[in-house]
Amino acid sequence: MIITPRIALRLALIIAIAVVLQLSFFSLLSVLGVTPDLLSVVIGSLGLLVGAVAGAVCGFAAGFLLDSALLQTLGVSSMVLLSVGYLAGRYREGFEITNSLVAPLLAAGLTALGAAAFSAIQLMLGVETQVSLLVLREILLKGLIAFVLAVPAYPLLRRVLRPALVDDSPARRRILSAARLRSRARRRGGSSHLRGGAPARRVRGVAS
Amino acid sequence: MYRKQVRRRRAVLVGLLVVSLILVSISFSEAESGPLHSIQRGVSTVLSPIEEGASRALKPGRDLVNWFDETFDARGENDALQDEIAELRSELADAQSAQAENEQFRKMLDLGEADAALAGYKRVTGRVIGRSPTVWYSTVTIDVGSGSGVGVNDPVITGDGLVGRITDTTKGSSQVTLITDHRSAVSASILPDGPDGVVEPEVGDPDDLLLDFIDSDEEVKEGQLLVTAGWSTGRVSSAYPYGIEIGRVSEATIGEQETFQQIHVEPFAKLRDIDFVQVLTGGEERPGVPK
Repeated sequence: MIITPRIALRLALIIAIAVVLQLSFFSLLSVLGVTPDLLSVVIGSLGLLVGAVAGAVCGFAAGFLLDSALLQTLGVSSMVLLSVGYLAGRYREGFEITNSLVAPLLAAGLTALGAAAFSAIQLMLGVETQVSLLVLREILLKGLIAFVLAVPAYPLLRRVLRPALVDDSPARRRILSAARLRSRARRRGGSSHLRGGAPARRVRGVAS
Repeated sequence: MYRKQVRRRRAVLVGLLVVSLILVSISFSEAESGPLHSIQRGVSTVLSPIEEGASRALKPGRDLVNWFDETFDARGENDALQDEIAELRSELADAQSAQAENEQFRKMLDLGEADAALAGYKRVTGRVIGRSPTVWYSTVTIDVGSGSGVGVNDPVITGDGLVGRITDTTKGSSQVTLITDHRSAVSASILPDGPDGVVEPEVGDPDDLLLDFIDSDEEVKEGQLLVTAGWSTGRVSSAYPYGIEIGRVSEATIGEQETFQQIHVEPFAKLRDIDFVQVLTGGEERPGVPK
């Protein structure tokens, strides 16, 4: 993906809005006794849309902003969120998103993984109190809530970033529509000599 | 070309991870006045007015979502509260006569009408504008800071009881570390004349605190109240003054061959959904507590 200054600005705005929404709205909510994690959903979705490198950079920036705003240990949230963005981006580079449920499922999995990684880092940094088993419940429920949040969040972010997406570029759309025509022709006539993206008119002629 | 891309991708990932690790280690080792903390405070100062505006604007939506959640919880709590009301009615009569006696004694001792425990403290009211999204950091950001006289280690309360203390300030905002944060420890006394212990959180369960260092031969009953101990040795003292209500003993168990009891405390303050808090500024000097 080519990051133009305009797209970089959009990404920066998305991150800033997501951090403010997380701090001032989602973190003050209690859904099934758990705080919804919008940031992981947004960073996971960005990774899916813009790729591994940009996803990791967005995750790092979001984590830095979050830790700074809360005046808490710098670097912990950055580490977790950059991993979320990177993993989501790697998925996008390796697999096609063929189903509308893929993004929410991936966001749910990555959010739960991020929460577990955050817990592991905290334990490594030395928590001196008892840790309740409810932490496990928290991780699972966060994943579940992330699934629900990703259903509207992913299409919304895709819409905002559409001009920069390779998947939605005209060239990509032309290739996809040619492939669709070929498969339609195969279903109608099943001719084997229609290889190499035959135009629609010729396809129909042969089939009839 | 592809290999070059892969190398670049890995380099970015490793670079960002290394920067994060450096940030973590500097953040831990650096003094509060260090450059990284100054940057952090700068970012927080810029973000806090935006957070405050967003918090006010989004309050109706937040209240709506929380209302649904609380409605589910309220069903379960209803039965327990019915039992508690019956118990409290009988205690009310005793309390009223005790209060009348107390007022007479106060007049005799010339203590006045002010809350004796917190006399001398100025209360600064702040609105919660941000909150940590994980159970590992129980911190909230409030919209009053050093500009309003708030200082580090000032106790923070609500009408229900103790909330925590100030751990960082900027001119217009402060970070409150709640009593459920894993870095928190509050020395507490069990009323009426019970032993002193240390209240610590249980990470993952914000509705449960643990009272540690109570000998197993001490008698502690369910329902007893806990207040801050406010101890002082002259050179070192607790950050909290005596008498701020913390919570109620919900369970007390003695394990076999255990030196200390396992005492669970239910905090009075609803730490999951606080909108306003009061910071106790000023007050008597507490030796050993940095300001």
